[in-house]
Formats: sequence, C-alpha cells, structure tokens
Amino acid sequence: MLCFVALFVLAFLSLFSAKYRPLAARAFDCVTKKVTLRPCDTGLDDEIKAASIAGIMKLSPSAAGFLNRHFEAFSIAMTIIFFASLIFTAQGVYNFVVYGNCNGPEGGFCIYNGLQNKAFLKAPGSLDGITAGNASSKIVVIEFGCYSCPYTKEAEGKVQSLLSKYGDRVYFVFKPFPIPTHPYSMEAALAASCANEGGNYWEYREALFANQTAVHDGGDVALLGIAHQLNVSGFDACYASKKFEAFIRQTEKEGQDCGIYGTPTFFVNGKPFVGTNAGNETEAEIEKLLASQ
Amino acid sequence: MIDPEKISKDFPVLQSQPIIYFDSACTTLKPRAVIEAERQYYEEYSGCAGRSAHRLAKRTSEQFESARERTAKFVNAKTEELIYTKNATEALNLVIRSFNYSKRNKIVTTVLEHHSALLPIMEQRRRGAAKMELMKTNSDGTFDESSLSSTIDRETALVVVHHTTNTTGMRAPLEKIIKIAHDNGAAVLVDGAQGVPHSCVDFRKLGADFLAFSGHKMLGPTGIGCLVGKSEALAELDTFIVGGETIETVKLDSVKWKKAPKKFEAGIQNYAGAIGLGAACDYLSKIGMNNVEEHEKKMGKKLVEAIQSISGSKVYGVPASEKRCALASFNLSGVPPHQVALMCDSLSGIALRSGVFCAEPAAESMGFGKGAVRASLYLYNTEKEVETFRETLGKIAKLA
Repeated sequence: MLCFVALFVLAFLSLFSAKYRPLAARAFDCVTKKVTLRPCDTGLDDEIKAASIAGIMKLSPSAAGFLNRHFEAFSIAMTIIFFASLIFTAQGVYNFVVYGNCNGPEGGFCIYNGLQNKAFLKAPGSLDGITAGNASSKIVVIEFGCYSCPYTKEAEGKVQSLLSKYGDRVYFVFKPFPIPTHPYSMEAALAASCANEGGNYWEYREALFANQTAVHDGGDVALLGIAHQLNVSGFDACYASKKFEAFIRQTEKEGQDCGIYGTPTFFVNGKPFVGTNAGNETEAEIEKLLASQ
Repeated sequence: MIDPEKISKDFPVLQSQPIIYFDSACTTLKPRAVIEAERQYYEEYSGCAGRSAHRLAKRTSEQFESARERTAKFVNAKTEELIYTKNATEALNLVIRSFNYSKRNKIVTTVLEHHSALLPIMEQRRRGAAKMELMKTNSDGTFDESSLSSTIDRETALVVVHHTTNTTGMRAPLEKIIKIAHDNGAAVLVDGAQGVPHSCVDFRKLGADFLAFSGHKMLGPTGIGCLVGKSEALAELDTFIVGGETIETVKLDSVKWKKAPKKFEAGIQNYAGAIGLGAACDYLSKIGMNNVEEHEKKMGKKLVEAIQSISGSKVYGVPASEKRCALASFNLSGVPPHQVALMCDSLSGIALRSGVFCAEPAAESMGFGKGAVRASLYLYNTEKEVETFRETLGKIAKLA
C-alpha cells in the first residue's frame, strides 16, 4: 500500500532532484500494477518496509516486532491519513488563496497565517491619517491600504459595513500605503487626499475602488475625471501641486516601520490582521473588545 | 591456512567501507592485482591482439595469450582448449547450441541447474533440435544416483550438469555421471560457474568434455568467461558467433574455419577482461586452491551452524554435507526473504541475495519457490563476520 504514498512523495521530490526519479518510476510501476489488480513486483514496498523496521529496531526491537506483525494495517492507515491530509491541505491552500484564511470565509485559526509573518508587525505610533467614527472611542481601527490594490478593494465592502455598524463606537484611521507595483498607486493616494481636503473623500474613495481598472489604465485622466464628476472643490490645483505627497510619504514610511508587507493590513487596538479576510477578523476583534467594555 | 583478515586488505571495496560481503556467488569482489592488470592494459598498451604488428598490439597479444595459458593452467587444461566467452552463460549456450544432435538428440540435465544451463536446453527442445530429460533429484537437492543409468542412455547426446549449485552450494556426483555418460557415448558439459572459484577443479582429472566458468565469480573482471573443452570435442562443435578472426579463408561460396579456440572467438576480444582473469588466476594460485577449498569447508560449516542456531530457520539442501561450499540458502519463519536480506544490510551492512537465484525450477523443487535468502562466502570472509551475521539474524527472527 505504501507505494501509493511513495508515488506522490517521490514524484514531488523528483521535481527538485533527479535521484528520486528512478524510485518514483518504480512507485508508479507498483501503483499501476496494484490498480490493475496485479501483484507489485518492483520490491519497493519490501524496501520501504525493511528500511522502516530496521530503523525502528535500532530504537526499540519490540516496537519493530509490533510494526512488522501489523505492517499491512499500518500501511493502509498511513495511506488513508496521507491522502486525507493531502485533500485537507489542498482545501486549506485554496481557502487561503481565495479568502486569506485556510478555514474559508468563517475564519478562525489558520496554520498558514504564520506565513504572513504577522509576528513582525508593530502597531503604528500615531493616529495621523484620514479618519472617521468616534474620535473619543477606546477602540481604534487603523487600516493601511492602497487604492490601487485589488485586495484593499476586496476588503472595502467590509470596511464600509464596519463603519456603518460601529461608526459611533469605534475610531477608524486610514493610512495610505501605495504599493509601487500597482499602477498609479501614488497618484491615487494623492488624489484621495485632495478629495478629503475638498470634503468628498468617502465618495471619491468609493469611486476609486469602483473604477480601479480604469485608474490602472488611465492614470491621471481617470483620477481627474472622477474628481470632476464629484465636483471636488480645489482638486485640480491640489493634485497638480502634489500637495499631500509629504503626508503620504510619512504614512508610507510609518507603514514600512511597522513592517507592513501587504495591503490591506488592519490594527485593532494594535493587534494586526492581514489579507482579504482581515476585515472579518477585525470585526470579530471589535466585537470582542466591545463585549469586554 | 588462509588468513582472511590479511586477504581482505587486498580488496579495495572492503577497505573503503564497512561491509560484510556475503554475495560472492553472485559476483566476487576484485583484488587490487586484478584491477591493476586491467588498468595497465588500458593505460599502457591497449592495442588489439593478433592483427596489427605495432608494439602495443604485440604486447596485447603477448599478455592476452599469456593470460589464456595461465587461466587454462588454473584448471589444468591445454592452452588451445580454452575459449574466451563473455561469461559462463555464453559458454553454456555455445556448447548446447553448437552441439551436433544429428545422430543422438537427447540432452540430459537436472532441475537443479541455473537458468543459464536450463534455458538453452529448453530452447533446443522448443526448436525441435533436441529432447530434454531430467536426472532424478530429491527435495534436499541431492541426486537419486540409482536412477542415473536409466536416464543417461545410448540416445543421450549431451549431459549438462553443474559442478556446484548456486542454490545450495552442494556438488553433483560428477565422477559417477561422467562415467555413465561416457560409457553410453554421451558428452558431458559441466557448469563450473560455482565450482571453479571455490574448489580445486582439474579438467583432466574431471574427465568432462566441456567445462564452463565465469571470471567475475572468481575475483576476475565482469564480461569474461571461459569454455574449456577437449580438443576432439571442440572440433565437433558447429560455429557459434562468427566474424573476424574465426576463419582461415573466406570465398563467397566457401569458408575455411580456424581451429578452436579462434573458431569461437569472433571479433575483438575482451582483452582487459582476459588479462584481468589471468591475474585473478595468479592470485588464487598463489594462495592455493587447496587452501581456498579448506577455508570454504570450514566457513560453510560455521555458516550453516549460525543459521541453524536461529529459531525458525530452515537451511535448504543437506546442511551437514561435506560436499557443500561456503554457501547456504535459507528462510526465517514469518519474515519474507527480501525483508531479511534488506534488513541485514540496513542493520549490519551485510550484503546478501534474496529470491530464486536464477534457478526457479530448482527453487521450486526444493520448496522455496517464493524465494529464499542466500549467504555465499569466499576467501575474504571471517568467522567474526559469520558471528555478526548470526546475531543480526537472531534480531530479525524475533520480528516474527
């Protein structure tokens, strides 16, 4: 039975090292024979068994004896566990890619979160940024986001729902963090700050995310077009002079100091949440804090 | 007496790694003298023998023919009676396929033979060139000697029989078989692949018509073997593989063949292999085959005792046979043979063979058709190694 496991493991290792390929070929031969109800005569199962039992015998002869007597049952169990693990792992990876959490939309503990190096994230020291909500609240949500980032866009719906649900009980701070690889990210951040000065920030922000592709393609033209549609006061002069460049560089620097490696990143009273599912995790954390008040 | 500790120092493989090599029936390790002889050929004079006249070719011819002379002498045969082949398998095929079955067409053999002897006979039977009949043998690998006379009769053209089997290490009653065969006018081909390396084989005394053996099983290189045949028996054989060097003259409508051995040595030969085999014969002769045989008997006895001391073990053949070389095939109850062999390697670095040893009908006839483990020793193995083997088997036997 172990040749089924061996085939997967050895085929994977063969991608990186040629020395595993003959073994993978033997495992494939064995699997082919087993699924066509012929006896496996490659000897691979015997070799795996002998090597396993010999290894255990050096540690515990009685355990080796037990394993030898029940090796077939052990092989079947190992094979089932291996394939079940493989399926769960694939499902987890899929959820992680799609939802940012290996458990899917429900969230919860996810072993892959360790990949995000959240441990290295530090909470920002200032509340400088574009703000909303209750400034006197003890619950402060800070978002580092990029207007040109599809993940920030994906989380925006949740952000809006948090604002409407907890606007009176939570203080929300948005810190622009333009990602250089996203087209016109700096320009979009400059434009949004100008819209904030003109008193149309949230409308402009909504339009920015709604027209993200147009901004990626059109740059200044698209940014100015949105502002003109919304009749943002003093926008053209503000945008042309890059009035808020220093402010954005400051929040950008602040984000780098905090160790931000992707957007959106949320901090709820200093506790970080990263990725597209971070909005859900942020909400759960807010609820927890509200309950404890 | 042999000092295996001292001898093992001549074998680079044994000096380069911790290994207990108990697979000499498959192939033996090679001493430095053999490796050096081959190296010299390739590095100092690698010409072709008997063709060109330059100095390299001359030296190759001298060394090649000298090796033939020494190898023939090793089995007490005449130089012109020794034909180089690539191994014992080819030597056996040569005789069985080139023998003249026009007057008599029965080949007598045994179920105990290696596939290399059995399959060419079965092929002759399939082609309708010859019939095959088996001498009666017992389940312990011994011969039913009383039935030999009734099996080998006036119809028999050729008797093909081993000197020593590769499955149990026991010898065939050759003296009796050869006498009955010759009394009936049949020729005898002896498969000496296991016999020549492990005992004193004197072709003249043996009295057989043909003797086949391999170089690599007697410390020599792989890819070289020998057929020794009485001159008159060789003269009766038809051609086998033909080509350059096998002829005196060629016209489009006629060929005049050379006499043996050249008649059977077509094309460029394995000079390095033959020269290496000559060096192996020198090495063994220096130690003395009497001493090798004595060591084999002593170690064979200890080997069988070691295996039999393990509860649940079964040694195939006659365990206490005086006619046994240092070879034993066995099984441990409850542990498959492949697992035993692999675990001996993993636990103690002991190299064994498992399976049916290219002798499936023999294995079935002796009750291990699904395989056994074989330990085969040689002049470099020590009693201490046998003791390690016994201890390792003891641990493995407890798994059952």
